[in-house]
Amino acid sequence: MDLGRRTLFKLAGVATAGSLIPGCQKEVNRLVPYLLPDEQIVPGVANWYASLCGECAAGCGILVRVMEGRAKKIEGNPDHPVNQGKLCAKGQASLQSLYNPDRLRHPFQREGPRGAGRFVPLTWEEGLQRLAQVLLDRRVPPMMVTRPVSGTLARLLSEFMDSIGGTLYFYAPDAELPLHAAWRESMGCDGAPFYDLAHTDYLLSFGAPFLEHWLSPVAMGIAFGQMRQGRATVRGRYVHIEPRMSVTGANADQWLPIRPGSEGMLALGIGQLILDAHRSTLHGQEFERFRRFYGSVRLEDIERATGLSRDVIVRLAQDFDAARAPVAIGGGSACSQTNGTLSLIAINGLNALASSMGRESLAHGVRRHDPRPDRLIPWLTERTVFELVEKQDTGAGSVLLLYGCNPLFTMPPSVPIKTLFEQASSVVSFSSFLDESSEYADLLLPDRDPLESWGDHVVENPAQTMGLSQPVVPPLYETQQIGDTILELSRRLNLGHGQAQTFYDLLRERWKTVLADQPHAKADDWFEQVWIARLQEGGLWRERSRAGPPAIFAPSRGFEQACFVGEEHDYPFIFHPYPSMLLGHGEGANRPWLQELPDALTTVVWGSWVEVNPRTAKDLGITHGDVVRVISPFATLTASTILFPGIHPDVVAMPLGQGHASYGRYAKNRGVNPAELLAPALDSMTGTLAAGATRVRIERTGEKRRLVTLERPTMEPSDLIAIDRR
Amino acid sequence: MTATPFGLGALVKAAIILCACGGAALVIGLLYASGSADSSEQDIQPVAFSHKLHAGQLEVSCLFCHRYAAISRVASVPSMQLCMGCHQNLKEDTSETKKLLAYWENETPIQWVRLQRLPDFVYFTHEMHLHHGMECMHCHGRVQDMPHTPRASTFEMGWCLSCHRREGGSLDCLTCHQ
Repeated sequence: MDLGRRTLFKLAGVATAGSLIPGCQKEVNRLVPYLLPDEQIVPGVANWYASLCGECAAGCGILVRVMEGRAKKIEGNPDHPVNQGKLCAKGQASLQSLYNPDRLRHPFQREGPRGAGRFVPLTWEEGLQRLAQVLLDRRVPPMMVTRPVSGTLARLLSEFMDSIGGTLYFYAPDAELPLHAAWRESMGCDGAPFYDLAHTDYLLSFGAPFLEHWLSPVAMGIAFGQMRQGRATVRGRYVHIEPRMSVTGANADQWLPIRPGSEGMLALGIGQLILDAHRSTLHGQEFERFRRFYGSVRLEDIERATGLSRDVIVRLAQDFDAARAPVAIGGGSACSQTNGTLSLIAINGLNALASSMGRESLAHGVRRHDPRPDRLIPWLTERTVFELVEKQDTGAGSVLLLYGCNPLFTMPPSVPIKTLFEQASSVVSFSSFLDESSEYADLLLPDRDPLESWGDHVVENPAQTMGLSQPVVPPLYETQQIGDTILELSRRLNLGHGQAQTFYDLLRERWKTVLADQPHAKADDWFEQVWIARLQEGGLWRERSRAGPPAIFAPSRGFEQACFVGEEHDYPFIFHPYPSMLLGHGEGANRPWLQELPDALTTVVWGSWVEVNPRTAKDLGITHGDVVRVISPFATLTASTILFPGIHPDVVAMPLGQGHASYGRYAKNRGVNPAELLAPALDSMTGTLAAGATRVRIERTGEKRRLVTLERPTMEPSDLIAIDRR
Repeated sequence: MTATPFGLGALVKAAIILCACGGAALVIGLLYASGSADSSEQDIQPVAFSHKLHAGQLEVSCLFCHRYAAISRVASVPSMQLCMGCHQNLKEDTSETKKLLAYWENETPIQWVRLQRLPDFVYFTHEMHLHHGMECMHCHGRVQDMPHTPRASTFEMGWCLSCHRREGGSLDCLTCHQ
């Protein structure tokens, strides 16, 4: 059975001859002309269109480079007052939402049981007919849950829901509701907070991730640059207080690891020390209110709770007091506790105190943008979910309309959001992607991509910037803007308020009234001219309004301690889930560019990991890369360990964003979703989820898994941070 | 034991060797082929268009069809509508014009074979060259005399530089390799 020598040579000869075949083949490039040329398009020459970034609620202006009718690159709009030509990674990657292969390309209807993820295509006519029928058959008031939208669309959705007797809820996992609630209480005005970081000389941040995803990160990044390097004689100092050193914290002059939930207590201590230092000079009822609130806790208790020494607290108070224009901001971990709002009142109150003492006030209240001045749009908080589920009669569920949010993924399973979906008589989703929540829908009527849509956005900043977004490319698929879907639906239901034929008409009508107040030419076609100019520029920038009224510190409640779910004995660590800078709460997970960007601090690419302090790891006998079980009273997850020196030894952290079971090929089956571990602990005042109030324990599995990292981990248990476990 | 070249075992072995050698050769060959995509192609087009007829006998200006050469990076190929602008009114009926009409009626563009292509690492604009007074034929040859238009020059760096030196064009690397 040997292979003869000659045969071998023959075969080798044939194989070699075969190798020449591909060499003869040449790739032929084709030149494909237009059938009918588009007069607006010059091949090889780019058009730049001004529009708005739709990735978060900050409303940055963008310029999109379009060649031959295809969007190719997104940059920041230099004229836009919010981002001044800069753009974050999410904005850059939003092209991959437009071209994402997993976009829903036309309407679908569910086939099989709800949640099974099987859908059959429909035409728009059938889809709209079905939606109209569902709403006609409703027995209880329907509800709509959307991401927080602004401007014309918010008004349209709110009016539509009113006319069918339903409720419109805004929902976003990063809505910062405690911040807004705290602002009202600590400043005594109903505005939105605006922190002028650019002009501060001392910034005290209690966990606010303002360089990552907090409020308006690009605008704050620019302001931070000015604070540090923009002035000739002053370089603003920045102290960051957070249990885990975030990317923002890594930019600080000093990072102070604090026990989770005690941020508010530290602020109380600082306030108390400042008030004590000026005991002889500060009089009056105003300071009495401060004294009552800040004096409610003893300094020894603060020392014990925060884990910071008295010297450190005293120094923070002295530095804050000595600054010409100090600012205290709080967010992120500080507000994701059961006492989140109360902590933020204590933190924001420091600004009110500084301003009462005659310091330059850099925390302004700006006018809130109310799409419906007559009506406040409520938020779907976790507490609302509990209430709705309790209230709902199991026999007759409401129609649930869903747009631009994924509560089944972002809310923990311990919150009965799934029950709300199950109880609904019908679930209709307008989302562009089949995510966990849309998968639960009966009808999918996909919205267009922001780059294919008309829209506007009002930014809550001192200038009340109004951004305008326009379609920069023709729609790629048979999708319809949600605004047009709602108008069409109004016509079918004979609701009578849809005078405008399309959402574009509605947008123009609204802008006509806005622009009529601005100085303009007297010609008949003034609006056309001004409209074109606004589209070219990307929106309407107005003069900065004057600062609001002076702050009145009037908290309605005294300070409370944070509560944690789980016995300390069984669950020794406090769990700290943080939104990934790139993937956010999971909305960025289907963009390959964001997936392949390494995490800034751990350099991990893809997947999920658990951050453990090297000292804690040593005690537990865990090394880098060990797979551990993270066990909370509600669930168990497994992930690889990263030894991370920038974390309090009593805390373990995990990034949010991964762990999708749906949401397309790039997001699916990658990592785990730490939200699953969370207890249904709520912020006592606003009822939003206190994501940092769950205790966990970690166990070794004995397994080791390689994490993809950009850098080799060389961090040994070092004395980089000096925390003594007590 | 004598060799039995066509036994079952030998056939399996032969197949393995053939697959291994052939596979490796195929991969290398394909890589080679894809890297050499910039070499000039023969002018065999779906419709036998003659530059000699259009640009030579009929004296149609180059920029009438390649209308974006003076204002864009690319010269562009004419749209089907532009071809039909003349051909719709022409009585002449040849096999090639019939092909053109068939494309137009089926509403499909002609997929021309691309003959001239510079690698992606070269930044070249037609606009700038025409702006400096160069004629199309300086690089593309006297197409008005050619029934077929193969690549008239090598379009290699040495060829570009010889002209840049002669004409006083920029010799900075970053002019073309941006």
